[in-house]
Amino acid sequence: MSAFLTYLLNGLAVGSAIALIASGLVVIHRVTGVVNFAQGTFAVVAGLCTSSLLGLGVPHGVSEVAAVLAAALAGLLTGLAAVGRPGTSPLSSLIVTLGVGVLAYAVEIVLWGDQPRSAPGLAGSVTLAGARIQTQHLLVIGVAAAAFALLALFFGRTYLGKALTACASNPYAARVVGIDVRRMGLLAFALGGLLGGIAGVLVTPLRPISFDTDVTLIVNGFAAAVFGALTRPVVTLAGALLLGVAETMAAGYGYGAHQLEVALGLMLVVMIVQAGRRPAISQESA
Amino acid sequence: MTRRLGLAAGLLVAAVTLALPAVLDDSALAVYILLGLAAMVTVGVSLLMGYAGQVSLGQGAFYAIGAYTAALLALNGAPPLLGLVAAPVAAALSALLIGVPLLRLRGHHLAFATLAMQLILLSLAGQLDFTGGDIGLQGIPQFSVGAFEASSASVYAYLTWAGLALVMLITHNVITSRPGRALRALATSEIAAASAGIPVGRYKLVVFALSATFAGLAGGIYCFYTGYVAPGSFPVLISIQYIVMAVVGGLGTIWGAVAGAAAITLLVQGLDRLASLPGMPSYAPSVLSYAVYALVLIVVVLFMPHGLVPAVSRRLSRRRAEVPYR
Repeated sequence: MSAFLTYLLNGLAVGSAIALIASGLVVIHRVTGVVNFAQGTFAVVAGLCTSSLLGLGVPHGVSEVAAVLAAALAGLLTGLAAVGRPGTSPLSSLIVTLGVGVLAYAVEIVLWGDQPRSAPGLAGSVTLAGARIQTQHLLVIGVAAAAFALLALFFGRTYLGKALTACASNPYAARVVGIDVRRMGLLAFALGGLLGGIAGVLVTPLRPISFDTDVTLIVNGFAAAVFGALTRPVVTLAGALLLGVAETMAAGYGYGAHQLEVALGLMLVVMIVQAGRRPAISQESA
Repeated sequence: MTRRLGLAAGLLVAAVTLALPAVLDDSALAVYILLGLAAMVTVGVSLLMGYAGQVSLGQGAFYAIGAYTAALLALNGAPPLLGLVAAPVAAALSALLIGVPLLRLRGHHLAFATLAMQLILLSLAGQLDFTGGDIGLQGIPQFSVGAFEASSASVYAYLTWAGLALVMLITHNVITSRPGRALRALATSEIAAASAGIPVGRYKLVVFALSATFAGLAGGIYCFYTGYVAPGSFPVLISIQYIVMAVVGGLGTIWGAVAGAAAITLLVQGLDRLASLPGMPSYAPSVLSYAVYALVLIVVVLFMPHGLVPAVSRRLSRRRAEVPYR
């Protein structure tokens, strides 16, 4: 029973990290209609930055914040390439973000080499109802919960958040009332970079990050985001937690080698079921 | 006029293609063979993206299926020719099987689904016993037909380019036929195509299978040429590379796919030479190739969305207001 609880809590932590990546995808997709393939890259950039900064002797806290800001900057640059040029179709933008992800490989190898890097996080572990859980795992869950709460406040209670939502629901009408849709798109990319960066900073102490970790991260994030059809943050959170728990359970009960297949298979089933329910016309006009 | 010019250019290309294996040395031949194989896969990708309007980020999976099929058959004592025929057939069958559920998706959903498919396949190939796990399959016999054994690289070069010619011929016949026009229609709007009586689902599936067939054939030749296949030979990047080649050459153009494959392969090889010069850091080759793929992809998608070949041919024949995607 306590093993089950341990797997559950660890799974929730893994799921929270996935949720942060997925929320970045959702924010960008809602506002710009683009699926950002470079979302995993932001996490990798932030993770590698923290490990370097901590290695240079910069104190905890400062290095994490700096790494997250670097990821936000990476997000902004990606946005400039993907939606900065007017008239780029969403599918072209997807291919551009794919290119950005590969370009980031080159930059990351030059700066950090091709070996995985780790960073120290919160040490120690706590025992909850007989289940041991690493403090870092609790931190991941806490930060993800706070990030989702702040996102909900931002989109629901601020003018900027409402402008972003307006762009998402009807770009034409948003332009009519004087919202700069392009600037909002760039803002969404920067926000996506920020969220990806937070995920990267949190994950690096748990598992070493190398330049090509982004594929696993983006695939997991996308898998979670498709639960919410790439637009609904709360369903995405639920999907990410389900995914994290399912993967950790699979690993815990001896199917560790098939973790990736579990995530990907789940994603394929969800997408195919969703596609069957939605009429083709809504997909083509979207 | 342009038609005769095109014929002359085609003959010239054919003559040069046939003459090259005789004059190139072994390292240049390796590039030549890989170029031909890449072009074979890219023609399929270009057909799928340009005509059926579908993005596949998992074309490397079919390449791997072809390579593993041929390798397994050859290692278990089947004649290599049977392996080479079975490779595209196995790739096509798996595409038909996978395509039925997967092609209900479109756009970025399909892109991620095909990527997922390749990741699952690679992960399985790395774990199963009969595929040799992460080490892969080694000691694949040379390609042979009857008593004739392909012992030199130039034989593989001819085999590759004969395969490419076949692939190009099939693609040409498909896109100039009635189904080809139907495909062009469904790439612009599936609903409009369906209401015009085009069996959208079936046509998409057939093109998906056809592009997989091409990749499978290339994979089959690849495994006999290298004598070795492993999951590491088919990274996700290889699928992205085919997209880059197809986009650079111009989607939905046969010659564009070949030109794109040639341009990218030669560019990457040239930079590889440059990067392995003394004094360059050890990471230089991979960094340069990543950077080239990325920059070329971004610049072409943003500034030359129709690709290299249509851009050039449009300039050649300005008089025609619009060049059809051919």
